[in-house]
Amino acid sequence: MKGAERIEIDRRYCKGCMLCQYVCKFEVFEPGQERSALDYLMPRPAKLENCRVCGLCELHCPDLALTVVAKKKGKGKES
Amino acid sequence: MNPLGEKYLRKNFLPFIFCPGCGDGMIVQAFLEAVDELGIIDDLALAAGIGCSAWIPVYMHADVLKVLHGRAIPAAIGLKATRPSRKVVVFTGDGDGLAIGGLHLLHAARRNIEMGVVVVNNQIYAMTGGQVAPSTQVGARTQTTPYGNLEKPLDGCKIAVAAGATFVSRGSTAHPKALSRTFKKMLTHKGFSFVEVISQCPVQTGRYIHGSGAPQFNLQWLKDNCVPVDDPAKWAEVEAQGKIPLGDVLQVQKPEFMEEVEKMNQRVKEARAKGGDR
Repeated sequence: MKGAERIEIDRRYCKGCMLCQYVCKFEVFEPGQERSALDYLMPRPAKLENCRVCGLCELHCPDLALTVVAKKKGKGKES
Repeated sequence: MNPLGEKYLRKNFLPFIFCPGCGDGMIVQAFLEAVDELGIIDDLALAAGIGCSAWIPVYMHADVLKVLHGRAIPAAIGLKATRPSRKVVVFTGDGDGLAIGGLHLLHAARRNIEMGVVVVNNQIYAMTGGQVAPSTQVGARTQTTPYGNLEKPLDGCKIAVAAGATFVSRGSTAHPKALSRTFKKMLTHKGFSFVEVISQCPVQTGRYIHGSGAPQFNLQWLKDNCVPVDDPAKWAEVEAQGKIPLGDVLQVQKPEFMEEVEKMNQRVKEARAKGGDR
């Protein structure tokens, strides 16, 4: 099954609109406590194991601040 | 940052000037995706007037022409006429493209010059503080229509079809993948292409017209009210329900203006060589 290795949220550009949390069907994100460089509260990828790398959050991010890095193929079997 | 942004955005201009949750950033991303698939960033020449949406091309690593309010289309026509090899795309808003620059749109469409015009429709004059726009729905309360708007909205797509554009389509920021495909069609079309993008503006449209300034609420409003339709014949049906139809309205091939100019030049040269004057 597809999974995400990590979800990067660029703290230089994030404006905390939380659209990533809204469009995510697997409830990966939750409101975080960390503030971005523009002083907005950023989302936090709390349940990373739920991520199926559909890319909706990336597509909907209005500030292009979000990147989903997928797990490399075959990595699950080795570990 | 998103790999697309890493590749094609001017880092020293970032972060975007747009408000949190604005649809303009999504349009940047959808457009860059189309440009990336076609690999034409070096051929692009972008033009923009004044408004929130006119900031869209400024962030992209392409040649950009930023001109007077509403005059982006004439400037882009001049650009295309002198450099016919460039892919010219104009980004305007509903105020810039349908109100002050509305007549330029008609005449550019009539010429069928090869260029793309993207009209970002957020149904309000957002940058100036939320006044009524030509695309505002009937009954909407704005800063200048506190008791409800009485004027019927202009439909940019129908105007473009009537004026003679050869590719007319409508997308929305709530459907970013489809929007990217529409941009791809626009960039490969030979002739005048008009794309209207229904976008969310949480700060002005959301607060004054829809009743909430939350980006989530405004995105959901778009998802609920924009209906993708395959067949343009069904548009009237969707409009009768009070919803906004999305999809391609028209795609035809007609003689392109710059090609016709080139043919005319050739004809005159041949006639002169034979001793005539035209």
